[in-house]
Amino acid sequence: MGSSARKKKEKKRDFKRPKLKVGKARPKSDNFTDTSFKAKAIVLARQSLTTNAPSQSTQFSHHLSLLSSRSSSQRRDSLAYLTTAIASRPVHAPLPQPVSVLLPKINPLILDGSNSVRSQLLKFLNTLPSREIDPHIGHTLLYIRAGLTHLAPDVRSSATDLLLWVIETCPNELVSCTGGWVKTLKCLLTVLHWHAATLTTGKGAAAGANAWSSARAPTLGKEGSEGKLPVKTLNVLAAFLRAGLIEEHGTDADATYSHKWPFPLRYVEAHTLPKRSNAFAHLNLFGPSRDEESEMYVEREERQSIFQKRFHACVSSGVEAAKREGGEVGRAAAGVAKVLVEGMEDYELDR
Amino acid sequence: MVKRKVGALEKIDANLSNLQYKIRRDPTSYKEDFLNQHSQYEHQREIFLQAPSSATDDGIISIRDLIDFVAHVADCYPQDTAQFPQDLMNILNTHHEELEPELREKVVGSLVLLRRKDIIDSPTLLHALFPILISTQSKSLRTLLFQKILSDLRTSNANTTNHRLNRTIQTVLYNLLTSDRTSSKGLWAVKLTRELWKRQIWTDSKAVEIMKEASLADNEKVVLGGIRFFLGGDKEREELEDESSDGEAVDMGRLKHQMAINKKNKKKARMMESAVATVKKKEKKKKQPHPLNFSAFHLLHDPQGFAEALFSKHLHNTRSKLNLEQKLLVLQLVSRLVGLHKLTVISLYSYFLKYLTPRQPAVTSFLASLAQATHNLVPPDVLEPLVQKIANEFVSEAAAAEVASAGLNAIREICTRQPLVMNDTLLQDLVMYRKSKDKGVMMAAKGLLSLYREVGADMLKKRDRGKEAAMGLRSGQRKEQRFGEEGVGEIEGLELLERWKKEEREGQRIEKGLPAEKGSEESGGEDEEDPGDWEVDEADTDDSVGWINVESDKEIDISDSDDDKPAAKKAKATSATSKVDDDKENAEDQVATAALKLSSLATTRILTPADLAKLQELRLSASINQQLPASQRKRAAQQAAALQARHADDPLTAAEIEGLASLSKKSTKADKIALAKAGKGDESVHQSTQAKRKEKKEALGKSTTNKEKARKKNFMMTLGKGKAKGKRSLVEQGRVLKAHVERSKRGGKRGNKGK
Repeated sequence: MGSSARKKKEKKRDFKRPKLKVGKARPKSDNFTDTSFKAKAIVLARQSLTTNAPSQSTQFSHHLSLLSSRSSSQRRDSLAYLTTAIASRPVHAPLPQPVSVLLPKINPLILDGSNSVRSQLLKFLNTLPSREIDPHIGHTLLYIRAGLTHLAPDVRSSATDLLLWVIETCPNELVSCTGGWVKTLKCLLTVLHWHAATLTTGKGAAAGANAWSSARAPTLGKEGSEGKLPVKTLNVLAAFLRAGLIEEHGTDADATYSHKWPFPLRYVEAHTLPKRSNAFAHLNLFGPSRDEESEMYVEREERQSIFQKRFHACVSSGVEAAKREGGEVGRAAAGVAKVLVEGMEDYELDR
Repeated sequence: MVKRKVGALEKIDANLSNLQYKIRRDPTSYKEDFLNQHSQYEHQREIFLQAPSSATDDGIISIRDLIDFVAHVADCYPQDTAQFPQDLMNILNTHHEELEPELREKVVGSLVLLRRKDIIDSPTLLHALFPILISTQSKSLRTLLFQKILSDLRTSNANTTNHRLNRTIQTVLYNLLTSDRTSSKGLWAVKLTRELWKRQIWTDSKAVEIMKEASLADNEKVVLGGIRFFLGGDKEREELEDESSDGEAVDMGRLKHQMAINKKNKKKARMMESAVATVKKKEKKKKQPHPLNFSAFHLLHDPQGFAEALFSKHLHNTRSKLNLEQKLLVLQLVSRLVGLHKLTVISLYSYFLKYLTPRQPAVTSFLASLAQATHNLVPPDVLEPLVQKIANEFVSEAAAAEVASAGLNAIREICTRQPLVMNDTLLQDLVMYRKSKDKGVMMAAKGLLSLYREVGADMLKKRDRGKEAAMGLRSGQRKEQRFGEEGVGEIEGLELLERWKKEEREGQRIEKGLPAEKGSEESGGEDEEDPGDWEVDEADTDDSVGWINVESDKEIDISDSDDDKPAAKKAKATSATSKVDDDKENAEDQVATAALKLSSLATTRILTPADLAKLQELRLSASINQQLPASQRKRAAQQAAALQARHADDPLTAAEIEGLASLSKKSTKADKIALAKAGKGDESVHQSTQAKRKEKKEALGKSTTNKEKARKKNFMMTLGKGKAKGKRSLVEQGRVLKAHVERSKRGGKRGNKGK
């Protein structure tokens, strides 16, 4: 046992703390080693003060590679750097890297888990020149569609923002690229829960009556930080339908162009080289065969007909139901209804 | 940056596994959520298909999770996920080379899951997986696929044999083998077939046909796979069966004991119930008739063609790429086929001639194969030069003892199968070696001698023939057998069985107090078939007392149920006529009647397994008992039983040819010690016998005695009582003593009355 006071004291001594006092030097620890020495002279090796700073372009590509970094703050900062680098370049100067290199790196960030990265992403995309994005929009659209139905509500919300951005920058390409019209539309309807099956099989009035109560099936998770997703989605839907169904400003120039050319020349655009990139993509000469959904719908009439065939009924009934809900949602739904009427009126006339 | 506050519910809810759980509980309510996730899956799949090799996982949700999720809830929404299995198959089919391993595994696993949920059927799954199995480079994927395919085949054959599925898969395998004979892809067909054969899932001739094609392939690996299957597949199957039958035996007695002692709760009761159920199931299984399992050799369609093809392709062919070891395997297979089916491949015997020298590597295997390929329909003049060569090359005074004994053994094995190859000069010459100093040679020569005493005593010298053979020759009972002669088909020892049965019956009747003879009008409840009669009783082996309860005179009624009475009567009448009338009749009469009614027993009854076992036993004892003195009877019986135990289908191995050679080699001291030590167990730990016993008891989980408990008791625990003991008053002390006496009388605290 060992009960003597001396032994106890000895044991305790190991765990005693040295007392520190203000204004006095710190007591030296047991294992202190004196490392001071004396020398007659001190010579510094030659040092240069100028450094080889990495060039602008290498920094750019370095930050581009950092976009797939593990830490979200790193991704955000790199994205911010890229944004400023592109925004602050001289006017008419080309991008440091072509869009075809940038976008494959950028696209996965649409589904990024961090909010700040995604908001920074929108800023970055806004700086890109819209003409150069056009040919690559199909691939970006894949990610945006994936974002629209994402499990995390925040990702859904920012994907909606991105879709809005795409509608604004390149509406023609958006609705006419592969799967751009039908799949996107389907996706939007899924998000709104205007599901084709439930609404078309529902017996008209009965379905509407159900929608009255707005007692929707329980959904998983909350609506995220922004709770007004349906309104936003409705607005986007309206914009999207407008882009697809209503004749664009670009094409109504057709008539003016025809006036521009003197008499023997007619429909010159049809005979000149196409301005679109990959003009024969709709022929799909080399890719895997497409079904109805992933088909390209280049012309407005085509889009109208497929819309009439597959979506018109459920969109209009969904709009009716949303209108009855009133409030903000109702107003947004009214906007959709207006576009619907505008877009489809001449199609009805054709028939 | 300030972290956004996240509500607990939100944190929990937003994951796929939670959604999956909720969907499983209430599919209709969560349909919208499912549709969201399904379209999410489709988008991710599109993204993935754009660049399959560089599929990234850095998103919150990977395509892997989504595939998993959709596969798990696919049965709740069959319409929405109709395309899903096809998608997975396409992904796997087109991109299995470049997929990252985890995703690949997930896709395969999901397909199997869909199969389990009956969303896709087995053929679809197997048609999707099998082409990848044979084409992929990745070893891990191959292992996974093989395992999945195998388990799927097993489950779909679990309750009833799924003939359609089996047939389609067998056709696929067969086509795989026959379409390209040079490729090594056929190895998968071999592996799969062998595994399924082992587990008795495929037991039909189609599987054997696959293996036949495999062994006629051009690729060495495939060939050897097929050959090995024929040589070892059936043995493997039997071993697995034995393993599964005696595996995890439940000790009911111990369980009951534990139930009586341990605390009783519902869990324990449930465990007990399940144990009882398994035991019952096992018992039932044991009672079931044994399924007919023909060996692969017997299921071959054209053994003659197969043997010829094998011989000409792999052995006779000079361009064959097989090495000696592989050739030996092929030779074993060919010779077994020839021996078993009594085929005629004449060129096979001249092939052996080259290899029959003592210097040839693995010559004993060649000798064994030669003996195996011999049967009674092989012309003796084909074999004679071979035997002559063996005798010349192996058996001489100059040759080493092992060589001579191996040669003699081989000659004996050949002669057992075809006695006509021997001529008397050679035989007499060889028999002389029984005087050899070397034990191995001596015993081998004696073996040959005893063989020819049985089959051709006239070739031996007079003094070598032995008493019985000489007497038989003189009386003319023994006749020389001609080439191609076959004995009249009969069941050997059937008359013994009949006599034994009669004795049994009479004994029973006397016990019951009836006259020994049974009247034909007597009938009664005896006719009901007792399933216990059918089985061989395992408990009693050779004491005939145990056989009394086998009431074999009861007949199995095979006729239709509506007119069973007249049929039973008829059967009774025939059995009555077949009975031998009186036990006072002399022996000659008995012989005569037995000869007359030779086949009546076999034609009127179905011999049960119990009957057959008894027949075997009677046959053995009859052949031994007559001639030998009682002292040698037992040993002879053992030897005969060992001979009987060797099945006709069993192969002859090189070890049997070498057998006695080990006797001629002088063993070193180290060998002797090793031999003595074998089977003694690990002697590294020196312990007393008591300690060993105790350890064994503890390992079995048995309880300790009170004495042992007292000895082990912690000292500190005894202190209190010790203190109190000192302070007891006289009265108290007396009471304690009395209680002790009382307790010991009762036999412990609770008494020893038992329950």
